[in-house]
Amino acid sequence: MPETGTEPRTTSGGPRSQATRLPDVNTQQKDKRGTHIERGAKRFELKDLNLFYGDFQAVQNISMTIEPNQVTALIGSSGCGKTTVLRSLNRMHELNPGARVEGHVLLDDTDIYSRDIDPVEVRRLVGMVFQAPNPFPTMSVYENAAAGLSLNRKGLTKSEKDEIVERSLRGAHLWDEVKDRLDKPGSGLSGGQQQRLCIARAIAVEPEVLLMDEPCSALDPVATLAIEDLIAELKGRYTIAIVTHNMQQAARASDVTAFLNLEESGKPGRLVEIGPTETIFTRPSEKATEDYVSGRFG
Amino acid sequence: MPQDPIGAGSGVPEVVPEGAGGLAVAGTGGGPLPEWTPYTVTGGAAALIALLLAATGSFSIVLMFVLTVVISLPVIYVWSRIAEGPRRALDRLATLSIVAAFGIAVAPLISLLYEVIKRGTARFDSAFFTESARGVVGAGGGAEHAIVGTLVITGVATLISVPIGIMGAIYLNEYGTGRLRRALTFFVDVMTGIPSIVAGLFAYAAFAVFLGPGIRLGIIGSVALSVLMIPIVIRTSEEILKIVPNHLREAAYALGTPKWKTVTRIVLPTALAGLVTGVMLSIARVIGETAPLLVTTGVVDSLNTDPVSGRMQNLAVYAYTEYKNPGVMKQAAYDRAWAAALTLIAIVMILSLIARFIYRRFGTEIR
Amino acid sequence: MVDKIRVQYAEELAQLEERALGGLDLVIASLDRALETVQHRDVELAELVIADDDRIDGRYLEVHQAILTLLATQAPVATDLRLISALLHVMKCMERMGDQCVNIAKLVPITGHDAPQEADMLDRIAKMGKQVRSQISQSKKAFAARDVELARDLVRQDDVVDALNKECFQIAVEVGDDHDIREWAMTMMLVARALERTGDNAVDIGEQVAFVVTGLFREFEDASHPVVP
Repeated sequence: MPETGTEPRTTSGGPRSQATRLPDVNTQQKDKRGTHIERGAKRFELKDLNLFYGDFQAVQNISMTIEPNQVTALIGSSGCGKTTVLRSLNRMHELNPGARVEGHVLLDDTDIYSRDIDPVEVRRLVGMVFQAPNPFPTMSVYENAAAGLSLNRKGLTKSEKDEIVERSLRGAHLWDEVKDRLDKPGSGLSGGQQQRLCIARAIAVEPEVLLMDEPCSALDPVATLAIEDLIAELKGRYTIAIVTHNMQQAARASDVTAFLNLEESGKPGRLVEIGPTETIFTRPSEKATEDYVSGRFG
Repeated sequence: MPQDPIGAGSGVPEVVPEGAGGLAVAGTGGGPLPEWTPYTVTGGAAALIALLLAATGSFSIVLMFVLTVVISLPVIYVWSRIAEGPRRALDRLATLSIVAAFGIAVAPLISLLYEVIKRGTARFDSAFFTESARGVVGAGGGAEHAIVGTLVITGVATLISVPIGIMGAIYLNEYGTGRLRRALTFFVDVMTGIPSIVAGLFAYAAFAVFLGPGIRLGIIGSVALSVLMIPIVIRTSEEILKIVPNHLREAAYALGTPKWKTVTRIVLPTALAGLVTGVMLSIARVIGETAPLLVTTGVVDSLNTDPVSGRMQNLAVYAYTEYKNPGVMKQAAYDRAWAAALTLIAIVMILSLIARFIYRRFGTEIR
Repeated sequence: MVDKIRVQYAEELAQLEERALGGLDLVIASLDRALETVQHRDVELAELVIADDDRIDGRYLEVHQAILTLLATQAPVATDLRLISALLHVMKCMERMGDQCVNIAKLVPITGHDAPQEADMLDRIAKMGKQVRSQISQSKKAFAARDVELARDLVRQDDVVDALNKECFQIAVEVGDDHDIREWAMTMMLVARALERTGDNAVDIGEQVAFVVTGLFREFEDASHPVVP
């Protein structure tokens, strides 16, 4: 059960008035919604999202939906803004100094950027797995898996924690490999195991959405396929959005693919096409998409 | 000086002409020199020089060292050039020059340690550690009061500096932005250069405002020392905190952890070993400061463990006063001074060892 | 800069298409010879046609293997993937067309020497042959140019072939009572049938053209859903 209101809401991204800009249209919704995002919220809708780093516009007019219980892949060339878009979904983008968000990101009808929503609360509902596995080095495997709970939830008994840790590690297909070494340091595992540990850590707090930023790019092919299998299983319970450079991975692992592109370097990235993965990879509508997926344009 | 190559295996060296076009050609005068060549040449030269100097009655270690370097370097270079070619010869010359330079740098340290140990062990007995100077005139007595004083004063200074310093570092690294941060960093840098006497005068003046002039307390000394310690703690802690990779913070944020919790539960524990080392470094820096303590803690002969009442002796000032005012039995006083110096060095060494132990035992590999 | 990426892959793909479509030329040559054996009852030429089918089969295997390799090594997607799928179909069609030519050639010796002939029948068979030849050639051109309209036109040509086929059937029915001539006419009927099947295969190639271009597979004209005129 997410805690609200008790944590200070400042982030290092500068004063809050700089972090978000709400168009006036949304004031009515703000009054109605109140301060909570409902549990079970799973569907993201991006409306005219523009993301900035200071004066530089990284991404322009992105409008798309991310449907529940599906894997949505964001693909596109380097620098097209796909990671920026992903990080805007759990309000991590604004942690960069000078970062700015314009537009709306609706999680089941609640704009997560509205003034009365606490970013910390958003991040408890929207988990993230990063490119390089990053288990906490001072913690054991058990503590890593339980980190989200220890840090952000009070009043759990040891047996409740044990249960959640086991459930998460099983959910991440890691339990059998680590059940005898739960108190060894988290950094002693292999790369693929570490990444699964990070996934276990993310799902232990029971988010609704899982964001994955190139989760396999630091892993060997076997570990990559293991994680893809895991993703296929996880989508039954979570909404998953994944950024990937690897076209074949997007083709294998996702149900919906969104292709972002830059017209030329220095310009902001745009959404070129979004559709079922099978369509994007067998008969895309846009020539730019066709060129990109066929590898005729880097 | 003999220039015969020592060691078997090398034939008569031939002069090697440069190849056409000026390319360096590998030497043909016997091939690569054996591993132990530099050692035997240097050792042999040193032995010979020592003998010669002793024979002429003008033996001194410094002279021996200088002459050995001056002679063996060219010998090795020439020999190597003939046998192995100019490139390798230059390589050897550079290596030996660096080693010699290192030797020059380390020599004063070794000499210092040697002197202190030699002279300090005269009074390194149990009396030195268990008796104070109270009522002692001439020989005997000890520095118990000074040792305890040093520990108390430095301890209190640490208690003051560490929280302030670490919190300052946390602010600068985790929260600070823009102009304010740059200004603070600048001021911290300035503070690292404050002369210690200035710190002492500042502390004294501050307390004198409230407690009247002539006041001498242990805690004033602690305050003076903390003025010197805080910038060091801040700088080293800031560097350590910077090394903590950002992706760990991001992982914590992504779990929905507020910033302050991320700092206390993730960043600080990860940086712990480095922070402790930084603190140890700052302690080692100030533990031997004499000037600020002279004007703040005063000189006293008896044991005082209370930092907020009365004067307190400490090892640095003790060594100074014993040396400056030796009284009637000069040698006894000098011996005590040297013993105090040795004790200070020993304390610093123990602290360093503790710091290393902590780092190895609790340090986590930060990736 | 854009064209420089995956140059080798593009070349391999182009080469693959060329080899595949070149197989259709082999079929045309085979068809020409088969028709000639029918007109002149040349048994030796017939045997040549039969033996030469190995070349067509060889081409099929070669292109098939190249496609497998390309799939495994280059992971083609989108248009490239559709192209490769289409080429597989084209190769199948080519192989079947080659087999039909062999069927025609095999029928000639059966008719025996100096069997009676019916000029009308022969005439129609010649016309059918010419039309089918044109169909194959046009299907190749349509594929190479990715021209969907040209591909659709194959249906019209196929209608002509079907009409001629029906006429041949009529002639065979009314050919008379002579045993030898009836036997000959039945054989010619089978030849016409083989030609008609060849024409259908050419239309199939046309459908693949549409698939490559649009990404959708639609039959131009289905036997089970006849187009209402």
